[in-house]
Amino acid sequence: MNDRPRKITLDQWDDRHAELRAAGLNEPSYGGPLGRHAAQGDVRLRKLSFDNSPAALRLWNFLLSEEDRLRDCKARGKKLVGAMKDLGTVPVMVYSLPNLAAFYPDGAWWLPCMKENRTDLLKIADSLGIDDSFCPVRAMLGAFVNQKHFPLPGLLTCSVGATCDDFSAIAQRVESLGFPILWWEIPHRRRPDGDEPVVELPGGFTAPETQVAFVRAELERIRRALADYAGEPLTDELLSAGIERANQVRSILGKLRELAYCANPCPMPALEMLIAEMLAIHFCSDHNETVAVLAELRDEVVRRVRAGIGVLADDAVRVFWVNPVADLRVMNLLEDAGGRVCGTEYLFCHALDPIPADLPPMEALARMALADPMVGSPRDRTGRIVADIRRFGAEALVVSRIPGASHCAWEAAAIGEAVRAQLDIPMIDIEVPSLADAMRPTLRTRLEALLETARTRRR
Amino acid sequence: MTAIAYASPFVPVEWIAAHGLRPLWLRPPAAGGGAEFAAARGVCPYAGAVVDAAETGIDASALVLTTICDQMRFASALIESSGRCPVFLLNVPSTWQTGEARSLYLAELCRLGRFFEKHGGKPPNGAELARVMLAYDRARSALLSAQSTLSARQFAETAAKYRGPLETASPPKPDAPPADGIPLAVLGGPLLEADYEFFDVLQRAGGRVVLDATEGGERTMPRGFDPRKIDADPLRALADAYFNAIPDAFRRPNAALYEWLGRELAARHVRGIVFRRYVWCDLWHAELQRLKRWTALPVLDLDAGADDVAAPNRMQGRFEAFLEMLA
Repeated sequence: MNDRPRKITLDQWDDRHAELRAAGLNEPSYGGPLGRHAAQGDVRLRKLSFDNSPAALRLWNFLLSEEDRLRDCKARGKKLVGAMKDLGTVPVMVYSLPNLAAFYPDGAWWLPCMKENRTDLLKIADSLGIDDSFCPVRAMLGAFVNQKHFPLPGLLTCSVGATCDDFSAIAQRVESLGFPILWWEIPHRRRPDGDEPVVELPGGFTAPETQVAFVRAELERIRRALADYAGEPLTDELLSAGIERANQVRSILGKLRELAYCANPCPMPALEMLIAEMLAIHFCSDHNETVAVLAELRDEVVRRVRAGIGVLADDAVRVFWVNPVADLRVMNLLEDAGGRVCGTEYLFCHALDPIPADLPPMEALARMALADPMVGSPRDRTGRIVADIRRFGAEALVVSRIPGASHCAWEAAAIGEAVRAQLDIPMIDIEVPSLADAMRPTLRTRLEALLETARTRRR
Repeated sequence: MTAIAYASPFVPVEWIAAHGLRPLWLRPPAAGGGAEFAAARGVCPYAGAVVDAAETGIDASALVLTTICDQMRFASALIESSGRCPVFLLNVPSTWQTGEARSLYLAELCRLGRFFEKHGGKPPNGAELARVMLAYDRARSALLSAQSTLSARQFAETAAKYRGPLETASPPKPDAPPADGIPLAVLGGPLLEADYEFFDVLQRAGGRVVLDATEGGERTMPRGFDPRKIDADPLRALADAYFNAIPDAFRRPNAALYEWLGRELAARHVRGIVFRRYVWCDLWHAELQRLKRWTALPVLDLDAGADDVAAPNRMQGRFEAFLEMLA
């Protein structure tokens, strides 16, 4: 069997899966050929290219079996919490209680892509007046209504305040349809005034101490609600242990990102890295398995780096990518055009930074929540992007707009301006809809032009 | 007198005036000429117009914006980064049910007061703040009492004036619209300066606006001040009257908006609602279908772009069709 790292199609994966099984591959309960997910409706998989490692197989199977896992959790008596919008804070609290599991209803935003619009999710959203002037996360509204994609959680939380208007508006519609929501406030992170006490946040941003205290109080409300729901207190000890487990995930991811984004040749494709990063938000409904999946992926990357092998050409242009794509296929497209991802800011860098373990747990979580790049000034986020571009040695920047998202219309110009002022690298601003096939030639041409410009600067 | 411009009803005009500053309720002109942001794809025309206005120069020492919508939050950062105009972003919580949210708003007003001091304001003592509050309260009460004697545009223009310095805001002369006009409510976000013509067009088409629930109108006026609360703690009374009382789409949950509408629509025998929203304003847009399901009244969805003033005939045609249906 050829174990050389390479990207393969779904059909090739199914053949390879059979070979691996015959050779003794031991899979977890959710394992199996990836093709079955396409047969069950995730038809976009047929147009994607995948890494050919068993670690990537496990990653994909883990991601694509989440609905089953949630239903299984519920059947086994676990209580479900839908943690909306905060991207990484409430799930850490939820997983601190043994009889709760968190998931991320916002994740439905990828369903139109994965199902290639063969669902009625967007049609339902349209019928409720949430049309395509909104971000694709409007699919979540349809998922709440048709109840086909995740079991209804017994508790729904949603952070509001300094969040995007699309999501806040859609979540309000969810509530108005009869799904009660526990709203909690995340204030706009501001610069401390004059002699105001300052707190340093994970990742390097700062905030006034009063804002951290405010968020801590908001999270205390969540803590009480979770304890009531679980029927047991959410103690500091449980939270500290939960933070430790979350940090385990973040630590593995940190190593994985460092290797995948810095080593040459590129040891892991951008698509698998995007999925791996997403696991940090809510652990894909199973914390322990997230650790195992990411550890296996990291070990595969370590093996490849040590062997000096990878999935892309040595001269692939190093690209920093801002914002997640609504169509996963575009991550393949970048690599097909001759690029590779070297650094990302997918809107949730705060879910990748270690949570301070030397602080009282609620204080640590409040600091983490306030470190969300989207709750502060775009200047802060841009500063972090510039620093990470330098850190990963990226040669070009792609700002990928999410159609309809309220922040995207503003931020590309701000990020572009800062990058031009501080770094001498080319940048493009693209918009990626849930299905970008019709735009594929245009997107490819634009990406190729970016990569060619970056290559020219090497000379 | 130093002027402070502001563009949100959650910035208490009394707080600016009590600092000895001249409040300037920003009514940016529509996109056009050098306007860059207001016409950009995905950008709310109002938020874009505020940026364009700040970039071309406003007659004020500083600008106060709020966090009640995400686009204004980004607008604030953009204006700040250009350095053309000092800008203060007031954090207005979306949630309202906790003491912490109310305290945060009060603390933000205190922080805003310190910002005013940096721009030439003098911190008011309790008596001065109380005097200013009561003066504005009387002006607003008088305006609301006179509402039936005014045209919709007069009411809207006067409400806007009462968000500025009171000394220059004289009460309008009665110019009541025809009593046989069809009673309407206008609901939605803020208006650009040229948008005030909208009220005239509506009246000419046969409508009579009896409830101005736009962002500059009656909906966002603070609750009348309780003199006992003013005596006890005027700043807290001010914060309560604004934060606890103004119903809006951005609040979470926003059920108070529908409670207020239910009360006011019935009290004024409204027969139709003109729902005016900007293209790319998600907060109001998302409420449209909910409103239609909630109310038995016909709703006219008026989606406004940056250049709507250039198409008054189109607007008039839509009003006429709507009113013909209601007649």
